[in-house]
Amino acid sequence: MNRMLERILPNVQKPARYTGGEYNAVVKKRSQVDTRFALCFPDTYEIGMSNLGCRILYGLMNEQPGLWCERVYAPWGDMEEQMRKEGILLYGLESGDPIGEFDIIGFSLGYEMAYTNVLNMLDLAGLPLRSEQRTDLAPLVVAGGTCCYNPEPLAPFVDFFVLGEGEEVTLEYIELYRKARDEEWTKAELLREASKIPGIYVPSLYDVTYNEDGTLKAITPKDGVPETVTKRIVERMDEAYFPVKTIIPSTEIVHDRVMLELFRGCIRGCRFCQAGYAYRPVRCRDAKQLAEMGKQACLDSGYQEITLSSLSSTDYPGLVDLCDDLLDFCQPRSISLSLPSMRADTFSMNLMQRLQKVRKGGLTFAPEAGTQRLRDAINKNLREEDLLQSCRTAFSGGWNGVKLYFMLGLPTETDEDVLGIADLARKVYFAWKECAPNKARGVRITVSTSWFVPKPHTAFQWEAQIPVEEYQRRVNLLRDALKRDKSITYNWHDPETSYMEAVFSRGDRRLADVLEWAWEHGAKFDSWSEYFDYQRWMDALAACGLNGDFYVHRVREKDEVFPWSVPNVGVSREFLWREREQCYNSVTTPDCRTRCSGCGANKFLSGGVCNG
Amino acid sequence: MAEHRLLFSKTGRARYISHLDLMRTFQRAFFRAGIPIKHTEGFNPHAFVSIALPLSVGYSSQCEILEFGLLDGVSEQEVPKRMNAALPEGIVIHKCYKAERPIKALTHLNYILTFDYAAGRPMGAENALKELLSRESLVVEKKSKKAKSGVTQVDLIPLIKKWTVEGRSDTMILDAVLAAQNPGLNPELIRVAFCQHYPQFAPEFVSFHRKEALDAEGKRFR
Repeated sequence: MNRMLERILPNVQKPARYTGGEYNAVVKKRSQVDTRFALCFPDTYEIGMSNLGCRILYGLMNEQPGLWCERVYAPWGDMEEQMRKEGILLYGLESGDPIGEFDIIGFSLGYEMAYTNVLNMLDLAGLPLRSEQRTDLAPLVVAGGTCCYNPEPLAPFVDFFVLGEGEEVTLEYIELYRKARDEEWTKAELLREASKIPGIYVPSLYDVTYNEDGTLKAITPKDGVPETVTKRIVERMDEAYFPVKTIIPSTEIVHDRVMLELFRGCIRGCRFCQAGYAYRPVRCRDAKQLAEMGKQACLDSGYQEITLSSLSSTDYPGLVDLCDDLLDFCQPRSISLSLPSMRADTFSMNLMQRLQKVRKGGLTFAPEAGTQRLRDAINKNLREEDLLQSCRTAFSGGWNGVKLYFMLGLPTETDEDVLGIADLARKVYFAWKECAPNKARGVRITVSTSWFVPKPHTAFQWEAQIPVEEYQRRVNLLRDALKRDKSITYNWHDPETSYMEAVFSRGDRRLADVLEWAWEHGAKFDSWSEYFDYQRWMDALAACGLNGDFYVHRVREKDEVFPWSVPNVGVSREFLWREREQCYNSVTTPDCRTRCSGCGANKFLSGGVCNG
Repeated sequence: MAEHRLLFSKTGRARYISHLDLMRTFQRAFFRAGIPIKHTEGFNPHAFVSIALPLSVGYSSQCEILEFGLLDGVSEQEVPKRMNAALPEGIVIHKCYKAERPIKALTHLNYILTFDYAAGRPMGAENALKELLSRESLVVEKKSKKAKSGVTQVDLIPLIKKWTVEGRSDTMILDAVLAAQNPGLNPELIRVAFCQHYPQFAPEFVSFHRKEALDAEGKRFR
């Protein structure tokens, strides 16, 4: 271990985050490796280590001979300060070697507020921030993850973006890099060739022009590169890599358990949900295979908990069989099974009761909107009666806490919908009064609201976020309506972070300057309240001559050129527009299993038919 | 519950695993090594492990003791081999054996403190440390959760059983036997006292190593 590191670690909080050496961490011999990959997550160790996508790519890459993938997380402020003071460059956890000397640096981008950490990590690695300033072939700086469906604010900093699922394309671009290195290509030659790999978006090969009002005039591909780049998917999940042997951290992380991915995609089609559209089509793993993977992963890891993760886990067709199979294994070993994304219906509740025999924590439901009309408008196909019945079942079974998540500012929302949230919460309270076997213990009903952020590639990508004063007024309206209910706690998100998230989620390339300005003035860890500074962002926008309201509060024209026009998630713009119109008519769209709505994602499958 | 003990060392990268995290690491390691151990009883049963005299984060040790209950099915000889394959880098099991003496008989710990002077050990540092440890009394302030002021006074001398100091070219080694419990002495306080009394000899860094666990007669404790 590096001597300087030894000296600074006693001065920082939770030093085990910065050492590596965990069980199953992959250490290779430098002499047997020709390509070094730094898999970077722009947040803390605890959060990055919980990311299943990164675990998959880590395992997959390290199975390749000659390739060594290491993990890199953003150091917390105390560690960064010590590193900068002692001149320690950002290093890979496995080897301790500075990542500036690696071949490829890959970032996982899960949320917009981590963008400043990307810049900060490049700087901590001793690298110039902008792609054009990094003239050598290595290190190549790439990025993947959900944010890449509109990566424009990061376009000048990243050499290329990888759209969609990374299992196949990662190995393809690493092969290309090796070829480029061996044949001594220039970086420009490499980027040009990379743009020919499906799923790879090289932003520097597109010219962006603007109209006088600030909207995009055109995105013009240069040198014949494709006009759109379609995301990659793994068509057959049964053949997809799954990391049975994964790193077991020696310190606590956020999701410290076996994560079993049941399926990708979602059949539901909630109109606000980017993941629901962008991860289409639905592809399931086989239940028997999953059960086997779950058992092996427990035996190898020593974890005492399995979580069945997916966008809407209870929509997995083989769920009952899978749970039966796993329960036979888990119960004698005191391993618990949990379902994180549960729908409020009878089927799910019965299953939940079987799974959680011992620990009865809180239950969480996300009705998203307070009235049936608005739930229909956003296509959240949840009926009030199903929710209440689920709560009754839970309360009868001894649960005494329910969390309810909602959004304020959804398209078409009225005061009636806002007050509907209070009504719904009260009905849940009455359900408890009606059913709780032991009322002396009381009940905790928590209502949380966030400020709706319209996202690219959704039916609401044209929408404006409501003004902040209006959001505040609706918060106050709901707060006053819930004032007298002692058993109901109301929490709401601060609007400032949501505003900046709205700026960046539908932002264009001009925001790169804003990011850089904010970073130069100390911005990092913007998803953490300890670090987020709204005024700094306002100053950054002003310094770059941009107005955040342009991105946040503006309704887009039907055929406006969006900054995210190059990335193609496979769902057609016509379908999304149709969904938007259905919202304004409060007409629901059935789930993909009930009836195909023709979104276009079926084209990803060889038969052209999704089977859910 | 705890009829068995493991003797293990904690060095290298594992030094930074905290006490609580280390317990969790061992619980998982027993499970993945396929070694059945006793569980606590009650509402939320979990694998029982207990580590004697928590080691400060960042210190290394070659004499840590973990207590647990080995169930039938695996022999004591087999435990170290299986566990070592299941533990993270830097934690090595040397021995698994039946407990014979209570932990309270572990009265002293032998620590090695290495004072680093990258630019060479200054003249006089060795004598200064010797002078300090030869005093009748050496009182330092120590953080305290109990005291209202948040600090309490502690005299180090009665808690130091014996010591030797050895000067090398760019380090100074203090080999000391310190009280382990009721009350114990954290060797960090020796560093603090030295830097307070002899700031001109303050080292760039001090590393701490726990070398041996001892009983009241100075014999090895297991």
